[in-house]
Amino acid sequence: MISASLIQAAEGDANPLLPNFWEFLVVLLGFLVLLFVVQKWIVPAFEKAYQARTEAIEGGLNEAEKAKAEAEAMKAEYEKNLGDARAEASRMREEARAEGAEIVAEHKEKAAAEAARITEQAQQQIAAERASAAHSLKAEVGSLATQLASRIVGEALEDDTRSQRVVDRFLADLDADQSAQAGQTGAAQ
Amino acid sequence: MDGTLNMVGMGLAGFGAALAIGMIFSAYLNGVARQPEAQRVLQPIAILGFALAEAVFILAIVFAFVL
Amino acid sequence: MATNEGGFQPPTISETHLPEIFPWMAEWGTGFGKNMLMVILSVIVISWFFMWAIRKQSLVPSRTQYLAESGYGFVRHTLGRDILGEKHFRQWIPLLFAVFFFVLVNNIFGAVPGLQLPTFSHAGPAYALALIIWITWIALGFKTHGPKFIKLMTVPSGVPKWLLPLLVVLEFLSNFIIRPLTHSLRLMAVMLAGHIIVMLAGSGVEFLVAQQGGLADYGLGALILVGSIPLYFLELIMMVLQAFVFALLTAIYIQGSIEADAH
Repeated sequence: MISASLIQAAEGDANPLLPNFWEFLVVLLGFLVLLFVVQKWIVPAFEKAYQARTEAIEGGLNEAEKAKAEAEAMKAEYEKNLGDARAEASRMREEARAEGAEIVAEHKEKAAAEAARITEQAQQQIAAERASAAHSLKAEVGSLATQLASRIVGEALEDDTRSQRVVDRFLADLDADQSAQAGQTGAAQ
Repeated sequence: MDGTLNMVGMGLAGFGAALAIGMIFSAYLNGVARQPEAQRVLQPIAILGFALAEAVFILAIVFAFVL
Repeated sequence: MATNEGGFQPPTISETHLPEIFPWMAEWGTGFGKNMLMVILSVIVISWFFMWAIRKQSLVPSRTQYLAESGYGFVRHTLGRDILGEKHFRQWIPLLFAVFFFVLVNNIFGAVPGLQLPTFSHAGPAYALALIIWITWIALGFKTHGPKFIKLMTVPSGVPKWLLPLLVVLEFLSNFIIRPLTHSLRLMAVMLAGHIIVMLAGSGVEFLVAQQGGLADYGLGALILVGSIPLYFLELIMMVLQAFVFALLTAIYIQGSIEADAH
């Protein structure tokens, strides 16, 4: 170093602005070589890695996006289904209510008809019974009258009190007879 | 102590260039601090301004050594 | 470095030019010096490191690959995409990448013990790199805009007619002559200054400790050594910053050529 500084001191102080031609040349060539290497191998490799990473990240993002969209669609569908089900349920309820009302009305009607039918039947029966009662009474009254008459005649009407007694007894007999018959028809009914 | 007046001149030029560079970057910092999204626009302009201001000093170096 | 006759002599710029390692080309003015060796070393280091780091191209990067990728991403996005724009930046990535890391590694050499010499503290390398970039952006300008490029670069829009003759000359000088000059010399001057500071501290310590040899001088020498540590880190910052500025200016010049008609 000392020898160099001595040499250069002999030449005078070097001007720092004057290039050393060989250094200039070496840097020129060296840089061009580096540029070539960078252009040919390094940048493509880095770009490739960069691209791959970008794609991976974007792919991941896309996938997440897709999953999100899917979930969204599923949710929409589910909500739609739920709404449908709700509507269906309310429709069914409405239907059931209507049906129920219809059934109740029908039943009411049926019951009324039945009641009317029963009433009518009862009335018919009553009428028939009354008719038959009247009929049998009519027949019985005849026979009773003859019975009574024969009794009265058989007793020999001596006095008023006696005949009065006979009539009274007959009537009581008749009464008891009728009440027994009425009890019989009530049990039959 | 020896040397030439050239070096004194170079120093004076350096003073001016240093002031200019300081002002350029202070303005740049102010701008970016107020409006951070403008940084992309301002940065090349600031660097170009810095380069131009420093060019004065570099010319001074050249003349100091050439003359 | 310093002689002991008449006190301390600061190191001179000449001393940044080291003697040749292989003096076999000395008869043509120079030989194969440390500087050239470092340039070749830097080319090998950059090529090897990035090719080795990306060899696997794994999706989940290893630490080395991550480091290389963040360096690449920095050049790609901060220097390329942000300045050149989404449309044009892809084809300029190689140039920006090579410029940035070439300058960066060669600057860092100035901070590596043993090498301790930034390649760009010499004018030649800086001129060479600036020349390549100068040719690139001028060729790009002519390719994009044809002969109109000269007019676009020299005639500023919106100035009064009578000012034009003066401004055209000024713009021509500033764009075509001073621009590459400042581009290269900025780098060279900063690196040279950093290198001179290191030399100054080194020779000062050597002078005080080895040649003066008093107790106070030992103390002062130690003080300079301690003081040179922050300076070292400042230089480290400057090295990275200058590489960044150099590559950024490259990108800005290229962008200026692409969009010469935009302003």
